[in-house]
Amino acid sequence: MELLNFTGLIIIPLVSSPVVYLAGRLGTREITLRGRSYLVRVAAFLALLAAWVPFAASVRTLFLDGTQEFNVSTIWLRVDGISLFMAGCVLLLGTLVILFSGSYMAGEVGEEKYYAMLLAMIGLMIGLVAAGDLFNLWVWFEAMAISSYLLVAFYREQSASLEAGMKYLVQSAAGSVLVLMGIAIVLAQAGTLDMAQITEAVSGSAVNRLALLGAGALFMIGFGVKVALVPLHTWLPDAHSQAPSGISAMLSGAVIEIGLIAMLRALATLTGFALSWGILLMGFGALNILYGNLLALRQTFVKRLLAYSSLSHVGYILLGLGIALSAGIELGAQGAFFHVFNHMLMKGLAFLAVGALMYGMFLQNGSHRALKIEHLAGAAQKYPLAALAFSLALLGLGGLPPLAGFMSKWQIFVAGFQTQNAWIIVLMIFMALNSVLSLGYYAPLVNLMYRREASPKVAAGKPLTWTIALPLIVMSLGVIVLGFFPGLMDWFTVAAGRQFMQMFGK
Amino acid sequence: MIFTPLNIILFGVVGLLGVGLYGLLITRNLIKVVMVLQILIKAVILALVLAGKLSGHLGLGQSTAATVIVADTIVAVVGLALAVQVRRRFGTLDVPRISTLRG
Repeated sequence: MELLNFTGLIIIPLVSSPVVYLAGRLGTREITLRGRSYLVRVAAFLALLAAWVPFAASVRTLFLDGTQEFNVSTIWLRVDGISLFMAGCVLLLGTLVILFSGSYMAGEVGEEKYYAMLLAMIGLMIGLVAAGDLFNLWVWFEAMAISSYLLVAFYREQSASLEAGMKYLVQSAAGSVLVLMGIAIVLAQAGTLDMAQITEAVSGSAVNRLALLGAGALFMIGFGVKVALVPLHTWLPDAHSQAPSGISAMLSGAVIEIGLIAMLRALATLTGFALSWGILLMGFGALNILYGNLLALRQTFVKRLLAYSSLSHVGYILLGLGIALSAGIELGAQGAFFHVFNHMLMKGLAFLAVGALMYGMFLQNGSHRALKIEHLAGAAQKYPLAALAFSLALLGLGGLPPLAGFMSKWQIFVAGFQTQNAWIIVLMIFMALNSVLSLGYYAPLVNLMYRREASPKVAAGKPLTWTIALPLIVMSLGVIVLGFFPGLMDWFTVAAGRQFMQMFGK
Repeated sequence: MIFTPLNIILFGVVGLLGVGLYGLLITRNLIKVVMVLQILIKAVILALVLAGKLSGHLGLGQSTAATVIVADTIVAVVGLALAVQVRRRFGTLDVPRISTLRG
């Protein structure tokens, strides 16, 4: 077993998770409370930094071409372009979130549990994208879901967090039952659970096509709960707004996209239905965009607004993938993966910037209140960095031209027009109009921060620390640089897009 | 013959799924919600064993079923732990009375 390949990327976070937890349980006789909290933070951050080494090594050896297989005893991992792409997204966001949490979570009860669960969640997400077996995919998925329930309900003394955690658990568990039912149908039809072998087995004539279509529908609904396809989204705004800010960034930037990858992997095993899945994905995408935008318009809490905007951004990603599946345009898939990355960057930045403002205005004054939109008034006077980062993230999400969000939306838009299909072109125009509509709730926030007198909450705010400022600076630079040079991500997204087309046999 | 062993198991799967989905719709008590999720999972475990038998890979079906039992127990434990906390904070387990987050 070698740690310098993709397995190391999974094993390092998973093994360091209990170590960090145990470090946090050291008795006060050996170490002071302050020192213990410091030890936990540094250990968690170093563990994730260490995980970058196997990542760099596996990118170099694979160079994103073809599929490589690894095993941890009897569990087989299949690493391809999509696995590496998602692993990179998760690792980048995870590192920044752990750095950010250093001050944000300092002194919370159960700080060590937070880092232990977060590291476990990161390791499990990276494992999920490399799963080579349908049932293993479910196991990774369920384990990741369990750690995310606990993180959502982390502030257990607050009733709203508990409610959000409970809702998330019940809906997600019901979804995973449906996924398992689909797996049982596939097992009965194909006689194997290895993804590559299923594809061969179900292309024979002895299988019942209708049963397979049913299994695909079960996968779509079951994983759809995690992706927050619109009628199944009701857990999302609660969970994203009640979780600690770092976790909101993780949930929105990584967890729902990982759910999407799980769904695509499961659907890809059932060959011959690519057109149906493509049309369904586009339908859900359009619904998500419209519903997310309309609901975001009437929110009063900032994090809840961002949660609804996640719904609409999942919609853009689904549209890109749907175009690739139904019309065979690879550019659509590349655009979708580019948008996955950009959304991770921008929404992560938005949640972290809101977290920074909450840290300065509430947490430092000993309160756990939620940030309302009116609290933002004049925030730029006291927190110029956080306000600038938040504005960049919002304008990027709204798709203003020289920022990252515009580039990926444009790529999907161009792919849609390449299909020369009237329906898809109508959808693209719908998407562009919705992108403009979304500025209707992003722009007032920017206006509020820069053009109003500072509210009393802002005036009473405390300064930010460097661990909070650094992730904001890094991600803001990312949003700007990718806006001017979108080609920087091509080597990553093109490989993922190609792998996506191969997966569905296009 | 309608009452072959395989058919009886199939009826079991369908029956448990029906009870579970109906229960999920009407249950108002959080502990009962967790129990209903358990009923649904039991249906799936039966279905996995049945699928293994039907496809001639009984071992594969049984090993997946055993893994599901483990994974699902953890979900139940977390669910019940959250329910205990909910009872402490809200003083009730009634689902409509703990739904405060809306819109």
